[in-house]
Amino acid sequence: MYWNDSRSWSPFGELRSLQREMNRLFDGYESGTALSRFPALNVWGNADSVVVTAELPGLQVEDFDLSVVNNQLTIKGERKGDKPTDDAVCHRSERKIGSFVRTVRLPFAVENDKVAATYTDGVLTITLPRQEATKPKRINIATS
Amino acid sequence: MKEDKSIEKAKRNDAEPTRDAKVFVPVTDIYEKEDAILVRCDMPGVAQDQIDIRLENTELEITGTQAADKPEGMDLLAGEYETGVFRRTFNIPQLIDRDNIQARLHNGVLDITLPKAAQAKPRKIEITTGG
Repeated sequence: MYWNDSRSWSPFGELRSLQREMNRLFDGYESGTALSRFPALNVWGNADSVVVTAELPGLQVEDFDLSVVNNQLTIKGERKGDKPTDDAVCHRSERKIGSFVRTVRLPFAVENDKVAATYTDGVLTITLPRQEATKPKRINIATS
Repeated sequence: MKEDKSIEKAKRNDAEPTRDAKVFVPVTDIYEKEDAILVRCDMPGVAQDQIDIRLENTELEITGTQAADKPEGMDLLAGEYETGVFRRTFNIPQLIDRDNIQARLHNGVLDITLPKAAQAKPRKIEITTGG
């Protein structure tokens, strides 16, 4: 193996290997369970709309299947394997492949036909405007 | 005394980041072909001009700074991931054709192709039979 350098010892190397081990440990914990939450989502919002972002590198736009019903957003997708050529030897394979599905409940009902999604630099961003009917209405008090 | 320490750290290239950003280790695949080594890292949210690849002696250091994903005028309602800096260092063999290293970023995946130097490529040895 090329990637292990045991010739020179350094305390920082030890720390790095510990970091690697910890990463592997938690990798195993995260995946493989029925309740695994992939992809991780950030949900942003204000009174008018909600933005959901997810880090999903290495997909194509057509690999996504997004749907929204009332206030439920479902993100489906599949990351396909991207082995460069058949004769390439794999030394390290940490990037996971496979399909995923995740549903989130949004804080309010959204305008289904005005939902927009973009995919830039491997980050999926879904913008969901709030349904007009559910927007809070400010009531002015009239003074006599 | 304090200054000596900081110089020492800078020399060792283990300097601590001055920016208040989390450092993540990007997940990576490494493939080897007959004529090249391919390093493929997941770097979502990193723009092309935010990537820094350095090859110093036998150390390949990859750094990518993520764009903050906070949309204008919005509050975080539920946060499951954070953004920061991706950084990872690999030891690579000497026998790399340094002038022809290529890197490509596509949909958050960074591909670095390290072509092998001519003397590192496998050579088929013909066996001649004595007459």
